[in-house]
Amino acid sequence: MAIPLVGSATSAALTSLQQAQSAASTAGTSAAEANSSFGDMVSQGIQSLDATQQSADKLALQAATGDLSDMHDYLIAATKASLATDLTVAVRNKAVDSFNEIMRMQI
Amino acid sequence: MAGLYGVLDTSGSALDTFKTWMAALGDNVANVNTIKRTSESAFQARLIEVRERAGGGVEVAGVDFSNPEGTIVYDPTSPLADAKGEVRAPAVEMSDQMTSMIAAQRGYQLNLAVIDRAREAYQAALQIGK
Repeated sequence: MAIPLVGSATSAALTSLQQAQSAASTAGTSAAEANSSFGDMVSQGIQSLDATQQSADKLALQAATGDLSDMHDYLIAATKASLATDLTVAVRNKAVDSFNEIMRMQI
Repeated sequence: MAGLYGVLDTSGSALDTFKTWMAALGDNVANVNTIKRTSESAFQARLIEVRERAGGGVEVAGVDFSNPEGTIVYDPTSPLADAKGEVRAPAVEMSDQMTSMIAAQRGYQLNLAVIDRAREAYQAALQIGK
């Protein structure tokens, strides 16, 4: 009796992990990549976060050197970078929470 | 990421456009007293043409210039005056420029407000499940 219970608990945990994965992949990348693994999705998300931060950094440098033509361009890029970082951190926290929940499982 | 932060890109394009408009208006106002000889063409005010951008937003389509004829003004004391004592002043109406400036400024501010609201909304969405 105990073994089917563990099995159903594991499948429920797996289902919720997959749901988190699909939610994360629609947030970070296009729907066509929804079938890729969680690790792929995370690395793609981090790459796009890196690109966003680099464009913000480039504009910040232009602002510092006086080459910036539009100040709102930098502020929009900085807002995007900040939001993308917050989103990535939120996805990572959810993934770590799910992992910890599984590790706490009684066997 | 264009789809994820679509509002920011849309309002950003509007900020670019309104800034270009304000720059043109500033140039027109700066040259409101630019007097030329009647043999030369008058200062031409810049008029910004805009169009909608594919995929959302707005962009500058081009620049038009006002009438190079300007207005002939009788000012015999001017060193630029011709034999009849006339000079050519630009056809820039200060009241038109100032009302356009208010519209451009308000448009810029509106789009900044949209960006601020969008950022607040995105940040509130990040609180889901916390």
